Amino acid sequence: MISAPNGTDSDGPDPTDSGRLPAIDVKGLGVRYSLRLTRKNTLRNSLAQFVRRDGGGGHFWALRDVSFTVVHGESLAVIGPNGAGKSTLLQALAGIIQPTEGEIGIRGRLSSLLTLGAGFDQELSGRENILLAGAFLGIDDSEIQRRLEDIVAFADIGQFIDAAIKTYSSGMRARLGFSIATSVDPDILLLDEVLATGDQVFRAKSKDRVLELAKGAKAIVLVTHDMHWVTEFCNRAMLIEHGQVIAEGQPEEIVRLHEERSEETRRGAAAPAI
Amino acid sequence: MGLIRVAWSDVWSRRKLIRYLVAADLKKKGRDTLFGNVWWILDPLLQMVVYVVLVSIIFGRAEDDYALFIFAAILPWKWFSSAIGDTITSVSGQDRLIKQVQFPKIVLPVAAILAGITQFAFGMVPLAALMLLVFPDRISATLVLIPVVAAVQLVFTLALGVLAAALNVFFRDIGNLSRHALRLWFYLSPALYGAAVINDVARTHPQIATLITINPFYPILNAYRSVIYEGTTPDWIALGGVLSVSLAFLLVATWFFKRVEPTFAKVL
Repeated sequence: MISAPNGTDSDGPDPTDSGRLPAIDVKGLGVRYSLRLTRKNTLRNSLAQFVRRDGGGGHFWALRDVSFTVVHGESLAVIGPNGAGKSTLLQALAGIIQPTEGEIGIRGRLSSLLTLGAGFDQELSGRENILLAGAFLGIDDSEIQRRLEDIVAFADIGQFIDAAIKTYSSGMRARLGFSIATSVDPDILLLDEVLATGDQVFRAKSKDRVLELAKGAKAIVLVTHDMHWVTEFCNRAMLIEHGQVIAEGQPEEIVRLHEERSEETRRGAAAPAI
Repeated sequence: MGLIRVAWSDVWSRRKLIRYLVAADLKKKGRDTLFGNVWWILDPLLQMVVYVVLVSIIFGRAEDDYALFIFAAILPWKWFSSAIGDTITSVSGQDRLIKQVQFPKIVLPVAAILAGITQFAFGMVPLAALMLLVFPDRISATLVLIPVVAAVQLVFTLALGVLAAALNVFFRDIGNLSRHALRLWFYLSPALYGAAVINDVARTHPQIATLITINPFYPILNAYRSVIYEGTTPDWIALGGVLSVSLAFLLVATWFFKRVEPTFAKVL
């Protein structure tokens, strides 16, 4: 049985300076995608749009009017249906995409685990990929060299560490990615549906690691569809739908609300078919 | 101007990352084939043989010591065209990474261009062999100026590569177009021919001749040919002109890259 790292806000972390100021402070965040510039654009489409003189499909708000704060020691779960904007939110927090409107304040060192091992170079060995990933994440080279053995040990990939990543199983790849991203002592950790990777043993181990990070007064934002994680381990939850915050509060309440709303949607979708 | 300063500090602060990327690139290129990096030596030699057969035997209009005459141009051109080819996809090929990690994207084209330098350096081996074994009379002190000409070419390549890498994110046609554009560019550069042919072209197609001479590779290839084949110092004024234009182009390309960089994660 795993208990939440911190209870309610009142007996949270000490109200020191770092504790008082929120680790993440989001005000009126909006992210707009231009449908004109979506993937696999070709000159032909652009010319056609130019000739027709239309804006090319207009815009789409992936997130709108999103405001929330996360203090140190808190772990916030972000839940919602597919396409609600959860991943976009994490991308915006990580600085990968720029907000179209609103502000994002981040205090502390941030590490993101958005898709495990996406940045791996298939031809390079595990060890080389650790160094490369560290350099991409902006970690000091001496620091990553120092942590190399820890990362290898935690990922538990044994002698495969000097083999090319393309020979790894997807579980091994995920373990290595998790190990790298959590090795850097982040103040703020962003996790996107990554906890369900690996076998039972690694899953338990990664759960422990995340809890350990949370205990060290680290702020965590977690996107997941696994409601057990939300209620068991997060001390706050936020439900978003269609890019907007629907509700925010105690994990149990929010999960219940989410389940009710999903049930309604399912019934709504099923009704016309009857 | 602010964006250019940011770009410079991006590159400088992530120099370690660039070094890893270059090393990874070289390692992969060597691993793919049986001969590995030996291809960097064989490739220009084989290409030279093809053109020697085509031009000096079939067309029968070759310059003296034609093998060296064209080798002095093939070597830098191969460096340029493969560096541009690699750089165009350097950003769009890392789409998964760009959507996952926040890092200055400018390191990607820069690393791709820098990796190409090694290929050019390897090209010095067949050049040295060719000169020592076949054309020892052509060896001169001006050979030490090769790196100077290469530096000018590097600035131009960097500018074009940074621009093309950014554009290819939005228009994937750039990759397809570039193969043909580079080939045409090669034939419009004085690689296989010299001043005599350009004079002939000027009489029949003056516009084409103008195109050949305003091309940055006209002074660049002429400079290589001066220092390698003719044993004379290059036309410093022409080379300085290319350098100034390339530096200005590099500033514009870098500014453009930084300007559109924030949208990469959304577009890819």
